Amino acid sequence: MITKYLAILRMKYVEMFAYQLSTMVWMFGTMVQPLITMMVWMNIYPDQGESFVLYFVALIMVERLTSAWDVWEMDRQIREGTFSYQIVRPFHPIHWAIAENIVYKGLFLVVLVPCWIILALFIPSLRLHLSVTGWGLFLAALLLGAVIRFAMSFLFGILCFWMNKVTAIYAMFETVSLFLSGQIAPFSLLPPVVKQISTFFPYRYMIGFPLEILTGTANSHTLMIGFIGSFIWAVVLIVIISLLWNAGLKKNQAVGG
Amino acid sequence: MRRYWRIFKEFFRTCLVEELEYRSEFMGNLFSSLLGIIVSILMVQIFFYQTDQLGGWAYADVLILLGIFNTLQGLINFALRPNMPRLLLHIRMGTLDYVLTKPIDSMFFVSLRHLVFWRLIDVVLGIGLVIYGLGQKHFIPSFLDVGFFLLSILAALVIIYSLWMLLMTTAFWVIRMDDLSFLFNSFFETTRFPITMYKGWLRMALTYVLPAAFVTFTPASSLIGKWDGGATLASVLVAVIFFWLARRFWKFALANYTSASS
Repeated sequence: MITKYLAILRMKYVEMFAYQLSTMVWMFGTMVQPLITMMVWMNIYPDQGESFVLYFVALIMVERLTSAWDVWEMDRQIREGTFSYQIVRPFHPIHWAIAENIVYKGLFLVVLVPCWIILALFIPSLRLHLSVTGWGLFLAALLLGAVIRFAMSFLFGILCFWMNKVTAIYAMFETVSLFLSGQIAPFSLLPPVVKQISTFFPYRYMIGFPLEILTGTANSHTLMIGFIGSFIWAVVLIVIISLLWNAGLKKNQAVGG
Repeated sequence: MRRYWRIFKEFFRTCLVEELEYRSEFMGNLFSSLLGIIVSILMVQIFFYQTDQLGGWAYADVLILLGIFNTLQGLINFALRPNMPRLLLHIRMGTLDYVLTKPIDSMFFVSLRHLVFWRLIDVVLGIGLVIYGLGQKHFIPSFLDVGFFLLSILAALVIIYSLWMLLMTTAFWVIRMDDLSFLFNSFFETTRFPITMYKGWLRMALTYVLPAAFVTFTPASSLIGKWDGGATLASVLVAVIFFWLARRFWKFALANYTSASS
C-alpha cells in the first residue's frame, strides 16, 4: 500500500511541474477575492485593520490548504469517457485523487509558508502566538476540514455518473459556502441567525473552524462543538461515498475513450 | 463601419439560431443568473449589516454600482468569453489561417464571432438592479447625468474590450485558456465595490495602471449625479490608449505568428 502510494505521489509530483505556470496563476488568483473582502472590512472598521489582516491572510492559507477540485476533473473525465481508464486500474481511483491533493497542498505549503514568514517580519499582527496544543488543535481541524471538503467534492464527482450538470450544482454549493464558511466575514460580524445556521452545515468545518483556532478566537465551547461537528460530517461523507461508489459504477456507461 | 455592423448582425443571427436549438436549458440558466445576483446583493447586505456606508457610498448607491457591474459582466460573458477557447483552438490547430484570409478584420472576427445569448439575462437583471437602486434613492438622473453616464459607460466598454484583447492575444505564446479568463475575472472583481474603498497606492494602481476605476465607478457616479468632467474625460482618454495598445499588440502577435498547420 505504502509503496503504491509513493509511486503515485511521485507521478503526480512530476505531473504538477508540467502545469507550473497555471498552478501559480490559480494560487495567486484565488487570493484576490479574500483581499478585496479584507479591504471592505478595513474600510468599515478602520481601527481594527490589524485583526482583519491576520484573519484574511489566514483565510487565504486555510482555503488553499483545504481546497478541492476533484468534481471538475471527474465531471470532465466521466463525460468524455476517460474515467474508464481510472476504474480499470487495480488501485481505487480515490487514492489517485488523494495523492494529487497531497502533492498540490504540499506545494501550496512550500510557497505560502515562506510568504507568511516574510510578511510577518513587516506586519506584527501576523506573528502568531499559538501554544503547542493550539498548533495541534489547528492541524487536526485543518486536516478534518480538508477531508470534508475533499469528500464533498468527490461525492459530487460520483454524482456525475447519474447527472449531467453536476458542476453547476457544485458551483452553487460553493457560493453558499462564501457566507457560511467565514469567507465573506469573520463569524463575529455575521448576523446571529447565519452564525447559528452555520453550525449545522459542513461549510464552517471546512474553513471557518480551523481559521478560528489559528486566529485565536475559538474558546473551549467552540472547540468542542467544532470538533464534534467536523468529525460527524467527515464520517457521514465517507460512509456516503463508499455506498454511492459501487452504485455509481453499475450506472456508469462509458462513452468513447 | 456600416459593413462591420452588418457582419455583426449576421453573427448575431447565426448564433441565435444555434442557441435556439438548446431551449430546454433556459430555465436552468435563468435560475443560475438569478442566484448570482441574489448572492451579490446578500454580500452587500452582510457588509451593510455592520455599517451604513462603503467608501463614502450609501446602500442604494452601492446597489446601482453593483447593477452596472452585473450588466458589464453579462456583456463580457455574452460576447467576449465564448470566443476565447475558439481562438486558442484556431492557434493550436492552425485554422487561424482561414480567419486571416477572410476579407474582414481578424481582431474583429476572433473577438466577436461567437455569442452566448442566455448571458443577456445578467444584463437585464443588472439594469433592473440599477433602476431599483435609483428607486431606493428616490433619485431621477437629469439629462446631463445620463449624458455623462453614457459617455463613461461607452469608455468602460472599450476599456474592457481592450484589456480582454490584450490578455487574449497572449494566447499566441501561453496556451491555457482557463488561466487567462481566470486572470481577467480576478481583475474584474476589483470593480465590484466603489473604488474609493481602496486606499493609497492600491487606489492609484487601480486607477492608472489597471483602469478598474473607469469600469464601474465613473459610470455609476455619473448616474447618481456625482459626475466629474475630468474623470469622464480621463476615462475616454484611457479607453483610447488601451484600445490602441490592444490593436498594436494584436498586430505584433500576428506578425510573429507562424502557422501550425502543414
